[in-house]
Amino acid sequence: MTQTTTEIISTKMNPNVIPHLHIWEWHIPLYLFLGGLAGGLLVITAVMIVIKRHFGIGPRDEGEGCPCLAVRVGSALAPILLGIGMLFLFLDLANKFYVWAFYTTIQPTSPMSAGSWILIAFFPMAILQAMLVNKQFLRNMNIGIVNKLIDWTENRLTLVALLNAHIGIGIGIYTGILLSFFYARPLWSSSILGMLFLISGISSAAALMLLFAPNHEKPIYSKIDANALWIEMVVVGLFILGGITGPANTSGAMMHLIAGDYQMAGMSYMLWFWGGFVALGLLIPMFLEFLEAVGVHIRFPLVAPVLVLMGGLLLRFLIVFAGQTYHTFM
Amino acid sequence: MLSGTNNAFAEDNGEKVVYSFCEHCFWRCGIAAHVRNGKICKITGSEHHPLSNGKLCPRGTGGIGQIYDPDRLAHPLIRERKGGQSSFRKASWDEAITHTAEKLYRIKEKHGPEAIAMLHHGYGYTFFKEMFKAFGVNKFAKPSYDFCCGPRRQGYEMTYGHPAGTPEGIDIINSKYLVFFGTHYGENMHNTAVQEISEGIRRGLKIIVFDPRFSTLAGKAEKWLPIKPGTDIAMMQALMNVLISEDLYDKEFVAENTVGFDELWNEVQQMTPEKAANITDIPADEIREVARSYASHAPAAAVHPGRRTQWYADGTQRIRTIAILNALIGNYKMPGGIVNYEKFKLPKPDAHPHPHFEKEVWSKYPFFVKTQSANTIASHEVVQQTLEEEIKAWFVYGVNVPETITLGRKTAVEAMQKLDFLVAVDTLPMEVTGYADIVLPECTYLERYDDLDDGRPYRTPFVTLRQPVVEPMFDSKPGNEIARMMAKKLELHGIFEDSVETYLDKRLKKIGSSLEEVKKTGVLVSKPTDLYRKPGEKLTFKTPSGKIELASAQLKAAGFDAVPKYIKHPDPPDGYYRILTGRKPMLTFGRTANNRFLNELPTARENEIWVNPRIAQKHTLSHGEYIHLKNQAGIVSEFPIKVKVTERIREDSVYMVHGYGHYYKKLKWAYTKGASHNQLISKADIDKTIGAVGFQNNFVTFIKEA
Amino acid sequence: MADKKNYGMVIDTRVCVACSACVYACKSENSVPEGYCRDWVVQETNGTFPKLSMENRSERCQHCAKAPCVIYCPTGASHYSEDGTVQINRYRCTGCKACLAACPYDARYVHPKGFADKCSLCKHRLDKGLETACASVCPTTSLNLVDFNDPEEKALKMMNGKEVYRQKKHAGTNPSLYWISARNKPGA
Repeated sequence: MTQTTTEIISTKMNPNVIPHLHIWEWHIPLYLFLGGLAGGLLVITAVMIVIKRHFGIGPRDEGEGCPCLAVRVGSALAPILLGIGMLFLFLDLANKFYVWAFYTTIQPTSPMSAGSWILIAFFPMAILQAMLVNKQFLRNMNIGIVNKLIDWTENRLTLVALLNAHIGIGIGIYTGILLSFFYARPLWSSSILGMLFLISGISSAAALMLLFAPNHEKPIYSKIDANALWIEMVVVGLFILGGITGPANTSGAMMHLIAGDYQMAGMSYMLWFWGGFVALGLLIPMFLEFLEAVGVHIRFPLVAPVLVLMGGLLLRFLIVFAGQTYHTFM
Repeated sequence: MLSGTNNAFAEDNGEKVVYSFCEHCFWRCGIAAHVRNGKICKITGSEHHPLSNGKLCPRGTGGIGQIYDPDRLAHPLIRERKGGQSSFRKASWDEAITHTAEKLYRIKEKHGPEAIAMLHHGYGYTFFKEMFKAFGVNKFAKPSYDFCCGPRRQGYEMTYGHPAGTPEGIDIINSKYLVFFGTHYGENMHNTAVQEISEGIRRGLKIIVFDPRFSTLAGKAEKWLPIKPGTDIAMMQALMNVLISEDLYDKEFVAENTVGFDELWNEVQQMTPEKAANITDIPADEIREVARSYASHAPAAAVHPGRRTQWYADGTQRIRTIAILNALIGNYKMPGGIVNYEKFKLPKPDAHPHPHFEKEVWSKYPFFVKTQSANTIASHEVVQQTLEEEIKAWFVYGVNVPETITLGRKTAVEAMQKLDFLVAVDTLPMEVTGYADIVLPECTYLERYDDLDDGRPYRTPFVTLRQPVVEPMFDSKPGNEIARMMAKKLELHGIFEDSVETYLDKRLKKIGSSLEEVKKTGVLVSKPTDLYRKPGEKLTFKTPSGKIELASAQLKAAGFDAVPKYIKHPDPPDGYYRILTGRKPMLTFGRTANNRFLNELPTARENEIWVNPRIAQKHTLSHGEYIHLKNQAGIVSEFPIKVKVTERIREDSVYMVHGYGHYYKKLKWAYTKGASHNQLISKADIDKTIGAVGFQNNFVTFIKEA
Repeated sequence: MADKKNYGMVIDTRVCVACSACVYACKSENSVPEGYCRDWVVQETNGTFPKLSMENRSERCQHCAKAPCVIYCPTGASHYSEDGTVQINRYRCTGCKACLAACPYDARYVHPKGFADKCSLCKHRLDKGLETACASVCPTTSLNLVDFNDPEEKALKMMNGKEVYRQKKHAGTNPSLYWISARNKPGA
């Protein structure tokens, strides 16, 4: 028998607030995933361009300063994926007719306001990079304005890429900051969340590029991915440690995630986290890519990148959901 | 920045306020109904009315859920029997009234007027009472007398010569020490009393609560003493024992103003705190401490009479014990003690001709109330006489008989099935309307005039008006109009004025006011009255002896105990638990059962069975689980009830809120929600002094699969 | 104006009985949709039989002086009003729900029409010099609307000498709701 008990009766009944927050469903995790992926793609492609043009390192140039295929496709995918992500973000808005309100003000303390402007800044630069790296393809289409734009900017690709590397990092971190500013939700209230989402975005982006890169380009992305996963492991470890060693709010929230029996799609958070994310999304692909690097070729080379992508998606779902189902800051 | 734009009522153009009084409980607070576009949008407490003082309980606010209940009775209904099937059909008012009048006339001709009884609850009955009196019928019963107000009224009357009153005559705001036995302030939400207790707490009032359950009031108490149910009189006797044996009582007051002190001492002498501790489960030291503190705060201390006072067969004597406990400390008409609030002096309406039996009382009980013309027989007697086929017809006004505690649901239904004729006047389809031959849809209290209410005594006596806020909805009619139609059909002339407005205006003109004037604020308030006795003032009491009767000679003469005695009540059988009942603050049993507005809150939607954790463990019950209840006679609750495992109750009792578990499908909201307490009553204990019915000797156990 | 208001509430839990009158009054005053509430009552019991204690309280938006909802709102829909309350301009609200996640008191909800909604401290009534609907109905006068700029210091007088707390004060939100604890002795 317990020594003392607390009985609380409350008349509170607001849907999606009681018994716990349930304001964000699949839209937001998917948006965060696609945002992270777009950010990661931008970072990788930009860095590839810069190191190739500046240091001469990297995959074979395919003529006239057009980087390798993976960079070209990756650059084009970045704004597309972010656009899809933003569509989900829009779908999540409860008052869609007022979406314009984001762009009639700057709220300096609101990460979401900052984010809505960053997203706007992302597109011109990302699209410019996509155009410049695909200029041969575009020139063939011979669209007047496009040609002019390419003529005007093609000599500045390095600069564009350099800027994009920063924007990509910004977007990646932003997807985490978006949540970590909510100190009312103890799981999210961790400044390492920005780094975690950034690195997870990079590992996912590398995995994605690994999927469509031609065989001769694959080893590069496999290495990037393996390294990103390794860093991600460390960041996840820090995230967990920072949580469980924190005060009651933080440690409770972390335990809710890593040892919680709360169900998501019929399975407990604990199983999803350790089995789904850590084992399948991090450890196994890292191991597979390590094998690949030391020259042991496996029969299904696509397994590792697909697992990484699923792990990245799962991480967003877990964080978004477990952050809501745990109680508010006490 | 734009601000204040988030409110639907930001601009209220054309809002009209109508003052009236509430009908959600007997307290009858003044309300202000706000009307916009012909619809009542909110109800607030009337700032003019002394009982509300601008405040209101949830039920008062919930009037909008009552008037706009989609299940309301919309048309008169007549029962038709075709080939063994019976069903209702819509009827015109004329047809329904003609049918009712004919049937009642025939029954009166054949069996005499005593074969007709009227059961009523609520304030709209007066016009029907007048109509029936002129018709020669004088059997009126209100079930609330049987289990609620009867014992308190009569027990006080026998001791002090006046009833305990509503609001209770206790100067709460000035009191320093109040002792409660089982009454649950804050859960019963009697507006004025709750306001006064709160003010009392702010001023330093200490509260002592004897209750088997940790009620909301117990949560406010300096001491919560979880007394064993059924042992209150032993506890009160022990308190008296301490007061007298330790010389703590007000000797001067007792000598001057009471009779029967020696007899009292004789009785309570044996009830030492140690003996009472064994009976009540409350340690002797605690009993002594309460008695001493109570005396030390005298005269600004009192024991509250409570409400719903008939628990066992000794309800009246229990109230007398409370009255005596008050008398011993000389708190009568003292600040913070017992006071006798006055009523507004409104002359009675002009008498109209009717048979001589105006004051005739039909009850067989010697101390049945004899001064209430609307209450001439106990409602359980009406049920019994119906089962014995003395009574053939019921006219039921606002009483949901099967779910209203009079001998339990089973007996009530048996009685209704024996009747030749049953008319039900109500606003909603209730269980009772399902048994009726004719259903007459009355409009709600927000759509009608009723008689003036001068029945509430208070610091500032007042008379208050019920007036229509909006027009009657559907084909419903006000009671006064239904009664007038029936009187006309029965050819009873000269009872009613041409219109209810004329009648009300005439009554108000007698005191120099008018309907037009009272309509403005809904109430006429007189100056505060003197509540306290002056030093050296000689007190008189309207009892046979002219004194406070610690020992009652009239009770003795009728063969009852002159001084209240403690009688042991049966303990629950093994594995069974005593059912204690109460209410939720936002609900008044049947009146609000189907009120969607009030039932919306998660705490209101259903009743729960409170079970002590040790007992829950014993029966492997878990919190939140749904189970059925079975009483000692084998009756199983029709609907499941949710288990609430809580430290807030003793191990020998369970608690449930009354008024749930409705089984009439036409109550679309209330149907199947929770379990019915009334269904689980199969044992009634009749108080043979005043004819009240107790039902606390019903016990239940838990059934997992029904 | 020189006499700027700074509204808040002093809630006396010593007298509150959790009757929910405030909830119903709010619902009808503010046309709060079915199934939603801007204020709610809590009855908290602690201990084991027979040593129990209870606190009843009516809760709502805390009208924080440093409100996470305002801080987080991307459009300025949630804002501080000049009278010390926190208000929502529903015509700037995108329904992004960031304010719901930001509020440590879970005081907000998304109105079925799409905008975030919560207790406005009956701003439309305050502007007319009236009390909030909940305070004006409260039978126990547990709910007291106060102006912290009131020169007569009604709020201070009410709380002086008593055990008073603010909910999640350590969250740094500087809430405008003050609670007189039920642990105070009668007449404290």
